[in-house]
Amino acid sequence: MRESPVLRTVTRIAVPLTVLLSLRIFEQGHDMPGGGFVAGVLAAAAGAMYLLAFGLERAARFSWWRLSVVGLLCAIASGTVPLLAGSTFMDHVILEFDLPLLGNVHLPSATFFDLGVYLIVLGTLMTLFVELGLEEGQWNS
Amino acid sequence: MSALTTVVVAPFIGAFLIALLGRTLGRWSALVMVGAAVTSLCAALPLIGAESPALVSHAWIPSLGVTFGLRADAFAAFFSILIAGIGVLVGVYSLGYGTVGLGNARIGRYYAALSAFMGAMLGIAVADDLILLFIFWEVTSLTSYLLIGFWYEREAAREGAVTALLVTAMGGLAMLAGFVLIGLATGTFLLSEIVADDARRAALVASPAFVPALLLVLAGAFTKSAQFPFHFWLPAAMVAPTAISTYLHSATMVKAGLFLLARVTPLFAASIVWPLVVVPVGLATLFLGAWQSFRETDLKALLAYSTVATLGLVTLAYGLRAPEQDVLQILSHATYKGTLFMVAGIVEHATGTRDLRELGGLRRMLPISFALCLLGVLSMGGLPPLFGFVAKEALYGSLLDSAMLGPQPLLHGFVITVVVAANAFLLASGLKLLIGVFLGSAPAERQHAAHTAHEAHGESPLLWLPPAVLALGALGLGLLSATGTSGELVNALSSDPNAEVAVSLFPAHLGPLVLSLVTIGLGTLIYRSRVRVEAMQQRLDRLPDARAVWDALLARVTRFAEAYSAWWQDGSLRWYFSAMLLFTTAVSFFALEARGVSIADAGIGFQNLGWESVCLAALIIMSTIAVVRSDTRLGAALALTASGFLVALVYAVYRSPDILLTQILIETVSTIVILLVLYFMPTFRKDGLSPGQSAWNAVVSGLFGFAMFVFVILCTSPGFRETRNLGQDYLARSLGEAGGRNAVNVIIVDFRAMDTIGEVTVLVVVGLCAYGLLRARRAEG
Repeated sequence: MRESPVLRTVTRIAVPLTVLLSLRIFEQGHDMPGGGFVAGVLAAAAGAMYLLAFGLERAARFSWWRLSVVGLLCAIASGTVPLLAGSTFMDHVILEFDLPLLGNVHLPSATFFDLGVYLIVLGTLMTLFVELGLEEGQWNS
Repeated sequence: MSALTTVVVAPFIGAFLIALLGRTLGRWSALVMVGAAVTSLCAALPLIGAESPALVSHAWIPSLGVTFGLRADAFAAFFSILIAGIGVLVGVYSLGYGTVGLGNARIGRYYAALSAFMGAMLGIAVADDLILLFIFWEVTSLTSYLLIGFWYEREAAREGAVTALLVTAMGGLAMLAGFVLIGLATGTFLLSEIVADDARRAALVASPAFVPALLLVLAGAFTKSAQFPFHFWLPAAMVAPTAISTYLHSATMVKAGLFLLARVTPLFAASIVWPLVVVPVGLATLFLGAWQSFRETDLKALLAYSTVATLGLVTLAYGLRAPEQDVLQILSHATYKGTLFMVAGIVEHATGTRDLRELGGLRRMLPISFALCLLGVLSMGGLPPLFGFVAKEALYGSLLDSAMLGPQPLLHGFVITVVVAANAFLLASGLKLLIGVFLGSAPAERQHAAHTAHEAHGESPLLWLPPAVLALGALGLGLLSATGTSGELVNALSSDPNAEVAVSLFPAHLGPLVLSLVTIGLGTLIYRSRVRVEAMQQRLDRLPDARAVWDALLARVTRFAEAYSAWWQDGSLRWYFSAMLLFTTAVSFFALEARGVSIADAGIGFQNLGWESVCLAALIIMSTIAVVRSDTRLGAALALTASGFLVALVYAVYRSPDILLTQILIETVSTIVILLVLYFMPTFRKDGLSPGQSAWNAVVSGLFGFAMFVFVILCTSPGFRETRNLGQDYLARSLGEAGGRNAVNVIIVDFRAMDTIGEVTVLVVVGLCAYGLLRARRAEG
């Protein structure tokens, strides 16, 4: 791929910002527009930007599909824990903590489910990007 | 965690631990598995003396009436102890068997599957909810597939595993259908409630689904317990390691079908259909199993067919409405058959073969195994003072007094004759095994090999202790019958709460004793004239074999699937899209039709329409035209993206930020994907379309567009909506019940989390498939 300094410079700044934004959107999802799915897509978009600017090699070193499998396990586990505690499958509860610095933290257990969705979306999309991109590379050479 | 939950959960925890640590532990994973089995055993033992059945009930899928319900009555406790107890023995035996030359990871997987299998079997034993029972049932099918196929390098192992899986899983699905019918007819999936409630049972009997439900549940039981005509999977599964054959194919899994028969006896047995189906199947299985067993020269095949015979025998007892026999027969069979399987394993371990024609004279080399085998064969043949004798006496007694067969002397005589003949064949194959392996002298060529290549394998205590426990069980239970202890035990544990089987070492009546003597005499005669009997069996070989019928069926199904796929999925994207769009069109119109919505109901007006919407609509139409008119793929893709972003603007105008955000991101990402795959698309054949194809495209897209237009307009009309406003409902509940103000997200992750789980699972699978397919393609090219 032709190297474009402009694209690379912009990407260096934009990718971390986009990832931060996606985390923010993920975090606020329970109360405001956002959530795991959208945030996952956004993070994948950041990943795609990175791929375009820096090529596939570094991104392809990581097996992205593992991320989606971890996400699936996370989602299933968040549903199974209430079952073991005597409740029904996927019966989410709201946890309240008092943490030293953050004060009262309000954490629905569904957040872990949402985290699973985030990881699955990110992992699956990145798998597709990387694999399709590698395919193209094969074609050229 | 209650004791009852521990019984089921401990082996699964063991399996999980082994799966994590198996690579490091290697063969010592056996200790984890044995530990789990001992835990289950200890938890199950107190259940047996409990006043009332232990209960566990967790809500699981309340909307479907499915609970995580466990219940341990005496019969369930008996089964659990049998499973966990033999699990301990099999774990120890596996450790002694020591699969040489395999990697730690593989041995770890073996014990993980074995432990999970044990947990699922225990789950079947104590499940009260039918759906839960079905799930455990299928888990045993899956884990047994892994275990049978342990030596997956061998073609036969793979085939045996697939056959077993297909047959038992097919039966399991039939059983699920039967369970659903039962649940619909009675209004509950809890077995204990159905059994306890006369009204529910009457509802089931009166329901038109009664006979289908009966047949479907029987299909599940028959496939699992290798009843004729599904018996062929069991001998094919003998390619498994011997410890597995002992555990799955003699002591536990094949008994799951019998267990199911016991459980549904109170539901179905009063019907005339029950004996009409179950008795012939049991009888045929009994006789064919015994007959075939005598023919085999492979030790494990011989034992497998004799197991088939016993399974048929117990099925017959259920068919004759004599469920009180079950624990007696099952216990007797588990003790001697477990012994014999393990002895067969020792013999194979010591000599490297299990072909009777190559064995002989091993009594000096394997003295302990010889003694154990002797006990096992005596019990199998029904000779005093072993438990097998007592069990057979009791069975003959109940056959002679059968209230069901009594009024029909011809039938009565026939059943008794078949049972006696089958038992005689079983005795004969027992003798064949015992004498063939341990007495006489070894064939010359084996003698040599036995003393060179395999000298190192003697009888290690780890190998002979487990069968010794079982063999002594067979002997001890037999001797205890003299005092009546065994009788009390089997009656207390039976699935029939009113069981009163007369179990005694000393024959009280003449009838059963005469039948026993006839059996022994006939069995010895068959063994002595084995050459002639075998010649006769060879001549009868013309009958079609169930295995061949099954193979032909599978081949037929495969051919149909191939032809169907080639016709339906011909690889043309145009055809796929036409099919999908037409189907969606049809479904939309069907939904509108079913609701009885007419165009007059449409709640549409132009009062809310602002100038910005009109402009946006015009732009969307223009970009859509650009998609269609574009001369290049890239142009079409970009125009498509443009129309997507314009739609996003519509959401902005109507203030729905959530969908707006999603739409923008999805448009971005799908554009990237389109650009990535664009390269591989065939050249744009826009001008190459025949007039017919163009017309077809126009018709399909016109229909689809019209359908969507009508559907979107009408589905906002009052007639289409539920009386309850779902949206308001979710909004009201979202903060209070799920702690979130964003109702859309709360619906996704909480209210409809089950749907989401399904969707994201599909997403993961799609990702993995794309990964696998593309990698494989690159590796090829």
